[in-house]
Parts: sequence; C-alpha cells; structure tokens
Amino acid sequence: MKKLFALVLALMLVLGAVAVAEEPLYISVISKGEQHAFWQTVRTGCEEAAAEYGVEMYYYGPPSESDIQLQVEALNSELVKEPDALCLAALSTESVLTQLEQCAANGIPVVGFDSGVPDAPEGSIVATASTNNQNAAALAAEEMLKLEGFADALAAGTPEAPVVIAVLSQDATSESVTGRTTGFVNKMYELASEYNTVAVQGHDLWAKEAEGAGVIIHVEIAATPEVTDVTNASNAILNLDGLYAVFCSNEGAVTGFLAATSGGNDLADGGLYGDLIVAGFDAGAPQKEAVRNGWFVGSVTQDPYRIGYLAVELAVKAANGEEVSDVDTGAQWYTAENIDDPEIAMLVYD
Amino acid sequence: MQSNANRKLNMQKLLAPAALVILYVFFSIFGKNFFGYEGFKQILQSSYYIGFMAFGVTFVIITGGIDLSIGTVMMCSAIIGGTAFTNWGWPVPLALVLVLISGLFFGLCNGLMIAKAKLPPFIATLGTMMVSQGFGSIISNVRTMHYSPTYVGDWFRPVFYISGNFPVGAIWLLGAFAIAAFVLNKTRLGRYNFAIGSNEEAARLSGVKTDRWKIAIYAICGLFAGFAGIFFGAAYTTITPGKGNGEELNAIAAVVIGGTSMSGGSGSMVGTLIGVLIMSTLKKGLSSVGLQAHWQTFFTGFVVIGAVLLDNARNRAANKVKIAAPAVKK
Amino acid sequence: MGEVLLQMRGIQKYFPGVHALDDCHFELKSGEVHALVGENGAGKSTMMKVLTGVYQMDAGEILLDGKPVQIHDTRDAQALGISIIHQELNLMKDLTVAENIFIGREPMNGILLNKRKQNEMAAELLSSLSIDISPTTIVGTLTVARQQMVEIAKALSYDNTRILIMDEPSAALTESEIEELFRFIRDLKARGVGIVYISHRMGELKEISDRITVMRDGQYIGTVNTAEVTMDEIIRMMVGRVIYEQPKEKSNVPPDAPIVLEARHLLSKDVKDVSFVLHKGEILGFAGLMGAGRTETARLVSGADKRLGGEILVNGKEVNIQTPADAVKAGIGYLSEDRKRYGLCLPLSVADNTVMATLHHFLKGSVVNDKKIREVSHTYREQINIKTPSVDTKVVSLSGGNQQKVVLAKWLVRDCDILIFDEPTRGIDVGAKSEIYKLMNRLVAEGKSIIMISSELPELLRMSDRIIVMCEGVKTGEMDISEATQEKIMALAAPRI
Repeated sequence: MKKLFALVLALMLVLGAVAVAEEPLYISVISKGEQHAFWQTVRTGCEEAAAEYGVEMYYYGPPSESDIQLQVEALNSELVKEPDALCLAALSTESVLTQLEQCAANGIPVVGFDSGVPDAPEGSIVATASTNNQNAAALAAEEMLKLEGFADALAAGTPEAPVVIAVLSQDATSESVTGRTTGFVNKMYELASEYNTVAVQGHDLWAKEAEGAGVIIHVEIAATPEVTDVTNASNAILNLDGLYAVFCSNEGAVTGFLAATSGGNDLADGGLYGDLIVAGFDAGAPQKEAVRNGWFVGSVTQDPYRIGYLAVELAVKAANGEEVSDVDTGAQWYTAENIDDPEIAMLVYD
Repeated sequence: MQSNANRKLNMQKLLAPAALVILYVFFSIFGKNFFGYEGFKQILQSSYYIGFMAFGVTFVIITGGIDLSIGTVMMCSAIIGGTAFTNWGWPVPLALVLVLISGLFFGLCNGLMIAKAKLPPFIATLGTMMVSQGFGSIISNVRTMHYSPTYVGDWFRPVFYISGNFPVGAIWLLGAFAIAAFVLNKTRLGRYNFAIGSNEEAARLSGVKTDRWKIAIYAICGLFAGFAGIFFGAAYTTITPGKGNGEELNAIAAVVIGGTSMSGGSGSMVGTLIGVLIMSTLKKGLSSVGLQAHWQTFFTGFVVIGAVLLDNARNRAANKVKIAAPAVKK
Repeated sequence: MGEVLLQMRGIQKYFPGVHALDDCHFELKSGEVHALVGENGAGKSTMMKVLTGVYQMDAGEILLDGKPVQIHDTRDAQALGISIIHQELNLMKDLTVAENIFIGREPMNGILLNKRKQNEMAAELLSSLSIDISPTTIVGTLTVARQQMVEIAKALSYDNTRILIMDEPSAALTESEIEELFRFIRDLKARGVGIVYISHRMGELKEISDRITVMRDGQYIGTVNTAEVTMDEIIRMMVGRVIYEQPKEKSNVPPDAPIVLEARHLLSKDVKDVSFVLHKGEILGFAGLMGAGRTETARLVSGADKRLGGEILVNGKEVNIQTPADAVKAGIGYLSEDRKRYGLCLPLSVADNTVMATLHHFLKGSVVNDKKIREVSHTYREQINIKTPSVDTKVVSLSGGNQQKVVLAKWLVRDCDILIFDEPTRGIDVGAKSEIYKLMNRLVAEGKSIIMISSELPELLRMSDRIIVMCEGVKTGEMDISEATQEKIMALAAPRI
C-alpha cells in the first residue's frame, strides 16, 4: 500500500511539474462534448486560435451531452484557477447561474460558443460565437419543400392516411437540439399549412392538435442521448404509418438513425426505405457518406472550426479589455452535388 | 465498537487520513490555486451528494450487503420531487419531503426483497437500480428537472448549498455525518448492524429480529439517497432523467477507501467521511494540475484497489489472531 | 479372502492437549470388508485421515504389501491406491457422470476436450463394474445410492485403487438402496479390493463385514471375526471404558418438581414425533449418535428452524414459537454445538456478545448505554470466570471454553430459565470442561432447568438427572439416571438395520 501511494505520488509529481509553469493568458474552454467529430473540429479551432494568439488554453468536454453534473464540476474547478477569460457552451443554463455570477464578481469575461448560454442573465455573457439553430434547422424544412413532388405529397395527405414527417432528436434538454427541433417543426408547419391541415404530435413540448389533419409532424425524442436509445427511437419512427420524410437534428440523431437502417443501406434506392426522404444536421464521416450516396437528400452544417476559433478569439479580445460582440458562424445546406465544393468541404468535418 | 485489541490494525486505519493529508499537501504545492479557501470550498462542494450516499450505504455494507440502486434512486427521487413542484404545482418544501419519502420507499423495497423474499442484495438492488432509472424518465416524461431559483425560489441554494461565499452544504454534510456516526455507534440499530454483518445467524438465534433490522437499514440507506438527491439538485440544479448510473459505485468506492470491509462486520463512518474527502480531493486536485476527468477516474481506480488490498491485509491480520487461539479438537 | 494388503501399526497422533490416537492397529486383506466401529470421537476418522494423508502420524508405521510406505499428503495416498468415499459425496451435480469421473484428467485432443473418448472410457469403466448408468447422465438426476456408485467408480478409475474407505456409506440410503450398495460391495470384494467400512449401524455390519475392529477414546480395543461375535459384545467393546468420572447415582430433582417445558409431538424433516418434559431444576440429557436428531429437536424448541407440527408449552402454557425471538421471549436460551457459526459474533467484543440478546435493556432513551453494558459484562466475567484481558476484547481471540462461557453469559443476562446446552464441552480442554460442569450444576441449583445434548456418554451419565435417547429422528428411549448404563444407551442409540 505504501509503495502504491509512493508510485502514484511520483507519477503526480512529474505531471504536476509540467503543469506548474506560468503562462501569460489562461483561457478555459468548457464545451459540451469531446467525442463527436463535431467537437473534435471545435477543439481544433480553439487550439489553433490559442496557438495564434499565444495563450494557454484548457479545453474540457463532458463524455456525453447529458453529463450536466460533470460539466458543472469542471467549470467549478476551472473557476478556482481564475482564468483570464472563459468560453462556455452550457449544457444547462440553470446549472451555471451561480458560476456566471461568480465570473461577474471576479471580472472574468464569459464568451458563449456553439449553443452558448441561452437565456443567460443580462450582461453575464460578453459575446457569443454560434449558429442560429432555429434558422439553420428551418433551412432543412425549406430545402425539403424545394424537392420535386414534396409539395404534392403534402397535399395528397388525408385524415385517414396522413403524410407523416418525423423529427428525430436525441434529447429535449439541450437548447441547441430543442432549438433545431422547434426551428424545423415551426418552419415545416408554416410551409405545409399552405397545402394541407397540419398537426404536430409525439411530444407535448411541440404538440399542436388539429381536426382532420392530412399532414402530421411527428417529434420523436430518444429516452437518453445514448446511441442505443436513439436507435430505438429511430425504429419507432420507421414503424410509423405513412412516413414520408425524416429530419435528424444532430450528429447523434443521424448516427442512431443510420444504425436503425443497416448503416444507411436500407435508404438506398430499392432498399427497405428507399423512398424515404431524409435530411440530417451537422456532419461526420457516416453522415457525409449518407449524403454523398444520396441516402440523405442533404444536410445542414454549421461551421465547427469557426465556432471554436472565433470563441477563443473573442475570449482573448475580451481578456485584453476590447469591446466584443456576437458573431454568427453560419449554416449551409449540402447535398451530394456540392459536398466536394471547396467552400462546403471546409465546413463538413469528418 | 472498534476495540483497541490490535494495535497493528489501528495503525493501518491511520493510513486513510494520512493519504488524505498527503494528497492535499501535494496538490496545494503543485495545483493551480488549489490551496486556499476557494479550493477547499470546491472539495467540500463536490463531496455533498457522494457523502450522503456513502453514509447510507456504509450501513448496508457493514451488514455484508450491497446497494447498487442508490445512484439512480438519488436521481429518481430528485426527479419525482422536481415533477411535483414543476408539473403538479406542489410547494417546494413539500416536494422536498417527497424526495426523501421516495428514497425511503425504494430503500424499503430493497429491504423487503432482501430480508423477506431472501433475494441476494446484489440482485435485488440491481433490479431497483433499473426500475428507479426507468421510473424517473417515465414520471418526468423524459424531461429535465431544474432546482434553480426560477423553479425552487431564491431561498433554496442559501439553505442547502451556498450562502454568500459560505458552503452551507458542508454544515448539512457534517450534520448528516454526526447523525450517521451516532446511529451506527450509539444505537441499537448500529449495534445490530455490526452483529448482522459479523454473524447474522448468531444474532438471529439470540432473538434479534434480523429481518426487521435489515429492512430498516436498507430503508435508511434509501433515505440518505433521497437526501443526496436534494443536494445534487442544489449543487448542479439540473436533473436529467436516466442518469445516476455509476454514482453508486463512486459512493461504494468512498466507503471502501474508508476501510469498511465489503465482507461486513467492520467499518466506520469516520472512515467513510475520509474516503469521500479523498475522492473529492483527488477529483479537484487532478483538475487543478490540468488533468481531465478521465485521469480522475483512472487515479481513483488505483486508490480503490489500494484500499481493498489494505482491506485484505486487515482480514489476514484478523485471521492470524484466530489461529493464535488454542487449537480445537473435534 | 486374500493376502494381507495393509497394516497400520502402533499409530500415535497428538493434537494440542489431546492424545487422539494411542498405539492403534489396523489390518486389511484384499477382498475383505473390514468394519471400523466406535463412538463419536473414538478416533476412526483420525485413523483414516492418517491413512489418506490428511494428517501426519507422530509415530507408528504403515505397511503396504508388507513394505513400509510414507504418506505425506492425499496425493501420496492416491498414488498408493488408497481412495476414500466421504459421507458427503464430492460430486458436481450439474455435470455428467463421465465428466465427474474424469474431472482434472480429461482426455484431450490438443487443447480441446475429447468428450467422445471420455464417454467411451466412462462407459467401459461402468460396464466393467456392472453399473447400469449412462456416462452422459447428469449426476444430480441420479438417486443418492447411484451417485455413490459413481463416486466409487471414480475412485476405481484410478487404475491402481486397491483400498477403498467408505465413511458411513449407508447413512443417506433407503433400505432397498442399501441392498443395491451391498451387492455392489460384494462385487468389489470379488475383484480383490480391500474395503474399510465405517458405520454406526450394527445390523448391517453383521451382513456385510468380514472382520470388525473396535476403537474407543483413541485406543485400539480389538479385532474380531464378524461371524464369531454378537452385536451386544461389539457394543460392550465400544463403551466398556474405564469411567473416570463418577456417574450420578440418582436424580437430584424432587418428584414433585413442576414441569417448566413440555414438547408434544415435535415434527420436522429430521425430527419424527418427539415428545418430552423438562422439570424445574433438572438436567435432561439427550443421548444419541451423530445425526440422531437431537440438535434438530433443540433447534425446533429454540425457534431456529420452523417446525412442521407439535406444540411447545412453557410453565404449562402453550407458546407459539416461530422465531428465535419468540423462544428467547419465552425464556429459552440455546447454546449451539457450533458456537462460532450460531453462537457468537466473533469480530465483536465480549461485552457486545454478552448483551446480544438483551440490548433493549441497555438503552438510555434510544442510546446504547455502553457504560452499563461494560459493568454487566464485567459482573458476568467475574461470576462465571471468563478469562479475557478485558470485556472490550474481541471474542475471536478467546479460547473455546471462554467463548462458550460468553455464549452462556448472553443467556444468563437474559435470565433464561431454560437453557439448552448442545455439546457444551466440544473442543474444550479438560480443565474448562469441569468448570462448565460446575456452572451447570450451579445453574440448576439456582432453579434453572437444562437440556444437555452430548455425544460423550460419561459426561451425560455424570451430569443428567434423566436421559432421553434418540436414533434417526425418533425418541427410542427414556430412563432415570439410576437405571442408565452406557450399554443400555448405546443399544437404544444404534440403528437396528
């Protein structure tokens, strides 16, 4: 036992000695994840910005997007280190209110990024680098409607045999995912109402009853964001009668949906769900493949690299006392046709 | 209870507090801003919910049992309470009572299954773990519950978590520790707790209603998990359905680090408190030297294994005592 | 009967404080069934453990085929062709017959098990022994008798096995199964295997054995040809010891002493319709061989096991004893034969164990009053002379006799009027024994009543006022101490098959 402790202590001595050297500026980045390819690209953006500005940067991402507690713990630990600025993508705004107050009291500027810190108290966030999720998801609804025959299909729905458009989301907790869900549902509701009576079903947050609806927008929320539960939710969607189109609201949802369709093979022409119209969000290798193969009609992408890069850039500026303001990092619709165009290829990470 | 029969055993008991001091000093030297009021406050604050669970499960482990359900029961209880004040319009204090009752109820079910239906504790509490995890999602309709001022009022955090810059939760934690230690060392339940853990059949044949006491012990463990739920809510404000899995193992690890034997019959609340603080110090300390969460679990693993090795060494020492008694001919 | 296979000569074995085997002899011829008999503790098992290498003898010699051999461990014994079939069968019930027989030496095919070969080998072995069992049968589905045959087959599958020790092979068998077993044993005899047959059942010795060796108190008493003796003579050899302790001549209980405990028609799996009464101030002895149902009877009276029928009356009133707590409440205290398993919490202190049954009397509000507990424990430590450094010492570090006294103290604190001593002196040295006897006499003098279960006849004769004899779950006799003799008790205790 004594030997073991000695060993552990020795290990820690070495690691500690490395960590103890002084740096000029220290920026803490508390993100929402680490595993998804999306967050890897965000992290690359952060690291390159940090290198460019010559600051020390600490990046934290919880193992999954439901690990609110771990994120709060990490945030607490970082605040003890008194960083010069903080970049924060909160999993839950409610959980970080005290910490935001503490930052304000200690003069630590907080920069939001990605989904940022929605509904944060006035003045607690100096600026946010993010995609407008509602607008981005609405883009998917608009692009779907541009498809040949989509409007006709909506019009053809009857109360007896309604046309079903499903939204698959991994949770109803994260602001970005709920924002996208809302953005898609509202836009689709608005557009489809021009052709038919529309009802929204599946989850009470979005539910809208309607008499004799010919189009049903079905919202499916996974039990947990774990891939197995998302896959179960996907299977539930695929079993819906009259299913016509599906929108997967982030990379997690896409992964689960592809898992439920034999890795996407069922979506190929002549496959089990060959006629299904599927749109995704974000990128990652499987989704890119799905788009390139035409299994997906297209996907919306944010620009994770710019999100990470701009977040750290804003933080450095704020730490130096400069005025900063919100930055929109933008969104694009990509399809099999334009996926390899340089300006799109840059946005869709692997 | 812990008699002074064997001095060597007591020396080994000093190792855990010594390890705590060494860790604290080490990180104070090498950690960024670790030493000081803020750092100390952080250690305490990340101890609250683990502490409550660990105190409760210490009782169970001393009986020689195990409770795998406390992590999810903690979350489920907090979600039930959250649903009560969010969706059913209950006043918050009443909802908090419901949190405790929920924890107590799950513990009671564990106790009944183990004492009356004679299920192995591992199986019974594994079942409860899954049931409570699912139930939290069902009752909340997979919605996150918030214990933030908007929902529970401004009084909640100053009462349970932090007031000004004073960690109020620490008072609760120490209070709970004092009560748990008192119950374990000074009451009939505590005494029977050790008796059941060291020889349940002998206790039963002495006329001790072991079944009833075991039910009570598991119920207490559940009640503590309910308390943990309130403090988890106070510290992290957001309770996500379907989580909590794995927290029970953190609590059990703290108990084991504190020197309570998994085979039952011996253990102490002081040990558990120290075990909890060691876990928190390690957690905060490693992040203060810039190591991420996976490093924390990595090192905690070593500490747990070390502590169990210590437990084994202690058992071997105890067995030696046995052999020293005059040989017996059948 | 063939030539002499095995000779054990002048075997000496000491355990700390006990002379377990004193100049013991044993001889076995090939094709012979040689019975080894004696009371519990006579040294039969120790003798066989020396032969199978479990124990090392301190003096003496073992000759196989006239040549001295050294047996250091069980593997040596196996290599010499000595196998033992224990009373508790050592079979894995969920595996097949073939798997059981060849466990640990399975025929292999590279790194894979060769199941086919294993089954063939087993089939061959079984048919050579004329055992009609398929090698692929799951052992747990066989009757106990047939399981026993599998075990014997396993022993004989070590191709050199020439000596087979059978420890109470008939104990768990029905009569027709015993017939089957005997046929099988005769078969083995015909093959020249020498069999050591340990049994309590006098009747079956007559039927199956060729010679009988009697042991008593670790000493060799004699070897006789079965055909030439009567069973009464064997019993006399078994019990005809010099009595060191003077038996009690007559009961100390006045004839008009009130009945404190009455059991009527007690019934359970192991107890068949047992009734008895216990008077105030009486020591009631329970005699019988191991497995006679005495402990089981005591466990019914003390609520440790659930009874299937019968009534228990304390002081003339029926009490509903379902749990130990009920019995304790009725003033019945049970001192188990296995105090480590059933009597004490070994890791806890003397004081904690002393008040285990009475903790509710030591509460101040809801707080345990440790000061008072220590005082009371201290009082009893003085009173019954428990030798311990302090009442805070853990009982695990006390000697057997002192542990026994702690259990006694537990019931005395509870003020139990009825005490059941189950083998109270087992594993206790001579000095502590007489102290326990004195204590028991003092307790009855103080008006308590005692049931004493013991396998040591001299002890029963010395202590009891009245003796009940049990055999195989049935009460076979009851006698006043003035009429009791060892021979009489032994005759009632031995199963008559």
